[in-house]
Amino acid sequence: MSELLDFQDAFVAAMAGDGSRLSPWLAQEPDGLAGLTVYRNTIARGCVDALAANFPTVLSLVGEDWFRAAAARFAREVPPTQAALLDYGEDFPAWLDRFPPAHDLPYLAGVAHLDRLWTEALFEAEAPVLVAGAFTALSPEDLAGTRVTLHPAVRVAVFEAGLPSLWVAARRGSESLELSGSPEGLLLCRPGSSVAFRVIGPADAAFLTACRAGLPLAEAIGLAAEADPAADLQTLFATLIADGVFRPLDNGTPT
Amino acid sequence: MSPTAGLGLKLDHLAEALAESAAGLWFEVHPENYMSAGGPRLAALTAVRERRPLSLHGVGLSLAADTDPDPTHLDALKGLVDRFEPFVVSEHLAWSTHRGLHQPDLLPFPRTRTALDRIAGNIARMQDALGRTVLIENPSLYLPLTGHAFDETDFLAALVARTGCGLLVDVNNVHISAFNLGYAAEAYLDALPARAIGEIHLAGHSPDDGGSGLLIDTHAAPVAEPVWALYQRLIDRIGPRPTLIERDDSIPAFSVLMVERNRAQALLMACEAIHV
Repeated sequence: MSELLDFQDAFVAAMAGDGSRLSPWLAQEPDGLAGLTVYRNTIARGCVDALAANFPTVLSLVGEDWFRAAAARFAREVPPTQAALLDYGEDFPAWLDRFPPAHDLPYLAGVAHLDRLWTEALFEAEAPVLVAGAFTALSPEDLAGTRVTLHPAVRVAVFEAGLPSLWVAARRGSESLELSGSPEGLLLCRPGSSVAFRVIGPADAAFLTACRAGLPLAEAIGLAAEADPAADLQTLFATLIADGVFRPLDNGTPT
Repeated sequence: MSPTAGLGLKLDHLAEALAESAAGLWFEVHPENYMSAGGPRLAALTAVRERRPLSLHGVGLSLAADTDPDPTHLDALKGLVDRFEPFVVSEHLAWSTHRGLHQPDLLPFPRTRTALDRIAGNIARMQDALGRTVLIENPSLYLPLTGHAFDETDFLAALVARTGCGLLVDVNNVHISAFNLGYAAEAYLDALPARAIGEIHLAGHSPDDGGSGLLIDTHAAPVAEPVWALYQRLIDRIGPRPTLIERDDSIPAFSVLMVERNRAQALLMACEAIHV
């Protein structure tokens, strides 16, 4: 093993608390340990700041002190594996779900999951968007057999309780945060230069899930009607097109 | 073109950055913050690049790790270099990856012959992958290590000689490291190979609020007067070079940063008049 790697092993061990490992390389031990604290703090801060940027709704719900303490602990247990931290924290929602101090806040992991989807939507690839007139040239039979593909930035999450409304309210800075008991979904997309989101019902969720699975439009519409017989499916589809959630059709003919 | 002064780009200042009309202004970013498939950040950087020269200043390639640079990271960097055609690409004389994990900081090491071989090889790998030479920045140091076979200036000069890379001199880091480790910043600056220096960084620092007596490279304050004095000394010797004002915390208004940037610009223009 090289002397450079020996040193780096000792340095990392020293930052984790075993300062004696660095003794062979330290000129003045007490001063050396003060310097080590500077590095340790900088690393912790880099990780915590990245998590704060990626989980702003969690931060707003639990407050700065709770968040930074939890994030620092997460960073020690699940350190970054890449230098680009804009994506850091993929495991944070699941980790919060297991984090005992979060058990008083049973919705926190779900909120973190929605923050994570927001970050994913923000950094996804660019792609053109289906325009409303795209279907006018199709016969009703062709339309029924058409498959529409979701834009890469689209994310959909469905919850048994009304977590999406709570997340949206918290994201908009609302003070009154109530968790309703009815099932809800959240749709996130990136139609322009920012991430847009809205709470959706079971018909939208079923429709988008069917599109994601590659089913033809007729089947997707059937599943949406089944999920919510009262839904206005024409308006539902038109609104999703206006949201910018679909890619343009591959070609005018069904496959 | 005469070397001019630039600013670290803050996306919160995007509209002002795009509207600013100052002659010679350029911007610098950390490529790690733009390593995504798409999204508004990349769109913002595209808009900036349409108007201004850009510098990519890497913080995560970990050239002083005892391993080759992460190929995924290098590919992403290459993609940004090809897309944005920066006038300079730089990295640090430091490590941050260790056995597959990333420590987001710029960490020190003993400057041995083994380290020189490894880092020269990594710089060559970086330059080969990017198809261009890069600048290497001197770090801020907090730990009085033993076992150095080279002074930092000799180590940097050896990297220049071996790889053809240039140097990015962070004058604030020179000031901090000299203070923390007890050597003369002036002698350090005077020992750097003038022709290799392709860019200069100026930033603010803060005393450690943990009470250690160390100065910390926080980038959270205006450039300190002793750092301006060292900067003047450096450009008096080597001539004007592209100079960046870095600010990453306690970020003031764009116009406040422009005042510091314009101070550097004025010093460069005065220096240019003498060095022609």
